[in-house]
Amino acid sequence: MGRGFGDLETVVMDRLWAADGATTVREVLEQLQRDREIAYTTVQSTMDNLHRKGWLTRHREGKAYLYTPGMTREQYSAQMMRDALDAGGRSDLVLAHFLETISAEESTELRKVLRRNGPRKGVQ
Amino acid sequence: MSVAACLLLYAAVVGVVAPRLLPRLTRTGIAPAAAVSVWLIVLMSVLVSWAAAATSLVIYVAHTWNQPHPLALGACLAALRSAASGHSGVATQAGLALVTAAVSAFLLGLAILVGRSLLRARTSTRRHTESARILGRRIAGVDGLVIDAPQKMAYCLGGRRGTIVITSAALAALQRPHLDAVLAHERAHLTGHHHLLLAVTRALATSLPRIRLFTVAQMDVARLLEMCADDSAIRRHGPTALLSALLTLAGADAIPSPALGASTVGIVARVSRLAEPNTTALRLRANVLLGAAASVVLGAPLLTAWSAASSTFSACAFMP
Repeated sequence: MGRGFGDLETVVMDRLWAADGATTVREVLEQLQRDREIAYTTVQSTMDNLHRKGWLTRHREGKAYLYTPGMTREQYSAQMMRDALDAGGRSDLVLAHFLETISAEESTELRKVLRRNGPRKGVQ
Repeated sequence: MSVAACLLLYAAVVGVVAPRLLPRLTRTGIAPAAAVSVWLIVLMSVLVSWAAAATSLVIYVAHTWNQPHPLALGACLAALRSAASGHSGVATQAGLALVTAAVSAFLLGLAILVGRSLLRARTSTRRHTESARILGRRIAGVDGLVIDAPQKMAYCLGGRRGTIVITSAALAALQRPHLDAVLAHERAHLTGHHHLLLAVTRALATSLPRIRLFTVAQMDVARLLEMCADDSAIRRHGPTALLSALLTLAGADAIPSPALGASTVGIVARVSRLAEPNTTALRLRANVLLGAAASVVLGAPLLTAWSAASSTFSACAFMP
């Protein structure tokens, strides 16, 4: 999958989150065409992919599909953070966290180390 | 065949000694990159020993299978037959074939489990990266995707193009120099391909959870890779910026997570080594100790295999 295509998914999702109510491919296309030249089939396959991957739900009305985001942006973000937090206890998602949650014991130890070294310039 | 026995014995000794000795050698994280190398050497040597033992058993059984006549087994079986006196050559062969089948089946099963685990990791990393791409905002001057979330988090995802994710809460909490240190830390993970090492050690640990060598290796390597990334960030932004960043993100309002009792990467050790830099003498000592460990781990099987192979070869050379 090319980079441009990936970016298009982001743009399309942004449009659909901003829209109120269900949207057709034609409506998204017309919005996008204000900024760039883009073919109907490109937008159609992008929205089809997003539907397949669970970002969009759709239902048929007449000849066209009406698309809506599966969840709000905030809900997706919350789900993503949950996945990232769970990663430590699971085997399938490999993340390198800058810092994982610390225990009370570690927090006490931490304070001891810092006390031992005295207040340092620039360290809060 | 004695090669196989020696290799399996060697792997067993390493499997018992390494998880007790290596974490002690690497605890302070004085030379984390060298320590990661030693862990990899240990893991590879055990896996290669297993594979080599299985291969040598298969070759041996296949070689003797078509020569059922006891005399034709030649000098190679002499030692074995004298040890198991009373058994006929055929019974010994059958026993050996069984052992060979068991070792091979174990290795095949392990390969399948590890392969599956790696594939699963790739799939969920791709899915997570896709979420980051769709949900994340790009902000000028920030080397990463910003997700709107109340948790203060920063992490990176491997893949063809590595991705750094930072939450809006972390971004708001960190001062500019501290943010740069965090991003440099994550970038170091990606340029060092740390996620690959993490994926492999984690796949081994989950495939064989009863073998301490793999579970200890997974935790120790994860901890050491954090320290490697810390060192890289320090080189560009100094220890104070990174230490401040760690303390900011580990603050009183750090992420509450009942799922994780303690951080596996050992925040205390990380902070200690930033707050109390090691002397050159200590670093030299750590490197020498790790070098010695690596030499023993590498040297023992090579020496054994070489001497065993040369004696086997000279004995078998007389076979018809």
